[in-house]
Amino acid sequence: MTDDLAHFRAEARAWLSANVPTHGAPLEGPESRAFVLDWQRLMYDGGWAGLTWPKDYGGRDLSVDEQIIWFEEYARAGAPSTHNASFVGVNHAGPTLIACASAEQKAFHLPKILKGEAIWCQGFSEPGSGSDLASLRCRGRIKGDEIVIEGQKTWSSYANIADYQELLIRTDPASERHHGLSWVICPMDLPGIDVRPIATMAGPAKFCEVFYDNVRLPIDAVVGGIGNGWKTAMATLGFERGTASLALQISLADRAEQLARDCDDPMLAATIADLRADAAALRAMSYSFAAACAKGMPGAEGSLIRLYFAELAQRVTAAAVDLYGVGSPRLSGDHGWAYDYLDAYSETIAGGTAEIQRNIIGERVLGLPRGRS
Amino acid sequence: MKFEPDDNQGTILDGLEQMIASLRIEPPKHPTTVAFSAELDAELGASGFLDIAREEEFTLLDAALVVERAARLPLTTEAASSALVGPLLEADAFQRPLALVRGSALAPARFLPQARALLVDADDALRLIAVDPARVEPVESLFAYPYGRLSSLDGLEVKTLDPALLPAVRRRWRLAIAVEAAGLMRAAIDTVVEHVTNRRQFGRPLGSFQAVQHRLATATMAMEATKWLAFRAAWSDDEGDCATAAAHAQDAIPTLTYDLHQFCGAMGLTLEFDLHLWSYRLKALLGEMGGSSAQAQHAAVHTWPRAA
Repeated sequence: MTDDLAHFRAEARAWLSANVPTHGAPLEGPESRAFVLDWQRLMYDGGWAGLTWPKDYGGRDLSVDEQIIWFEEYARAGAPSTHNASFVGVNHAGPTLIACASAEQKAFHLPKILKGEAIWCQGFSEPGSGSDLASLRCRGRIKGDEIVIEGQKTWSSYANIADYQELLIRTDPASERHHGLSWVICPMDLPGIDVRPIATMAGPAKFCEVFYDNVRLPIDAVVGGIGNGWKTAMATLGFERGTASLALQISLADRAEQLARDCDDPMLAATIADLRADAAALRAMSYSFAAACAKGMPGAEGSLIRLYFAELAQRVTAAAVDLYGVGSPRLSGDHGWAYDYLDAYSETIAGGTAEIQRNIIGERVLGLPRGRS
Repeated sequence: MKFEPDDNQGTILDGLEQMIASLRIEPPKHPTTVAFSAELDAELGASGFLDIAREEEFTLLDAALVVERAARLPLTTEAASSALVGPLLEADAFQRPLALVRGSALAPARFLPQARALLVDADDALRLIAVDPARVEPVESLFAYPYGRLSSLDGLEVKTLDPALLPAVRRRWRLAIAVEAAGLMRAAIDTVVEHVTNRRQFGRPLGSFQAVQHRLATATMAMEATKWLAFRAAWSDDEGDCATAAAHAQDAIPTLTYDLHQFCGAMGLTLEFDLHLWSYRLKALLGEMGGSSAQAQHAAVHTWPRAA
């Protein structure tokens, strides 16, 4: 490692040790919004937000090496999980805007994300369109310089506390499948938007249904061009699957080590040693992938990492439940392993199910013939 | 070998079905993580179905059939400990719901908030405690069963039982895990099969995709294997059989529950979808009695004494 990077690491470590919040992050509601925005602002003011984002929009234009070092130190310091209400904005809405949005859109939205002034949510899935995203029906009628939205979205995490939504709608009523879609920036305070949180088995009601009744958006809310929504959405999913979880991928090895320190059962220790090895492999794969796509869009190989991470996160959290047992303070509460264990069930569903990731790996990484309709 | 219910068992199962039908049991109307039903639990207790292993004309296997069926209900009851461990205790002194705990009497136990008795496996001693509900502190758990712990033993009636009963208590506890898990697995699989039959994506039912079919087939094998190992253990009441059945059940649970939730997508992660009514209980059983590795070790030590 160069002296510069060593210096960067020392700076990151010092800043984190002085600034990481001592109390846990609230998991839902207005408190969770305030917490993540405050923390994001603190990182921004310290110069630690948007490390690889362009300087023009509040970033620092650093390389993926610094990004990785920052996340390593972030995990080491036990900083708040990035899997929170700021996840969408920082990790895939922001990167989608950088890749596809107009200069005006970038100038308005990107600094707000980095400064902790806006929370984003995702509006892709619908009750009838889950894995089959291209079948979506939420409609956007173009009337003059407005888009009028009617329909429903679901599984929109944190929609109840979000300011903006990356919303995928059908703007060409005659279109089918992935044609005629548009990716729009939808402010969540517009008249006609109704949000209903759904209680999940992990506890907090962070999933939401969103209903749109005659919601009027200016046409310049479209990102990447009207009718090009599938392409923009694929950029979003590319980030979501490829690089969005980098911090979480890196932190998994630390979490496995935490279990190892508490384990005195030889059989469980063997399991944890396996998990630690897998977590190390995941880090290596993640670093290689992040370096490869540093200057471009993440490719289909992101699905390899997304899937590996999702399944490993489930195994690590399950081992924790085995290790500590019901009634242990390590399991209970908003920041206990039981929450993480149950929450990890969503890892193989969000951003494309494990089955969809396997289809992508089969068809686009291995080049196998397409099997499904 | 017989794999069909005999006349006695047919009578028991028919009677149980009639009772279940008459109670019109439905999943909870409001989303809840712990779907314990005090009414159903009391009905089951009063019906006598949980006492049959004490009767001359019935067997432990008959009791296991009752527990497996009860586990398939969408509401939770304390059937397994009462029907399979309870008969080891003197009928006069027996009270249910019965909670079981290992080590400290003050450790968290399933069903303790509702229990009238707590059986404590204190490593080298066996104690039966008459539970005063006012002494039970609820323990937070996301795993479907009500959990609680005693705040103290002061003033509670604590009966010391013959420690020679300890191996039998542990054996039956392992049996109870396996039998209950078998019923939970079956109900969970039934729920998911219905979902993937009705839910359509890419213009066809989810269940028509081989990736889905294959893993549901694997889950079904795990469930069938768990069920027959559990029934064999109930038939033999053998140390090795009971430990093997519990080890197999607990070993199968993680993959099975992940797969079943997976095929219900995000819907399956909500409390508005019924799968959690069974899968949550499976998750709690996963760690009972030290989990699958502890059961496997016990089975090995019993079966091959040199492994000790």
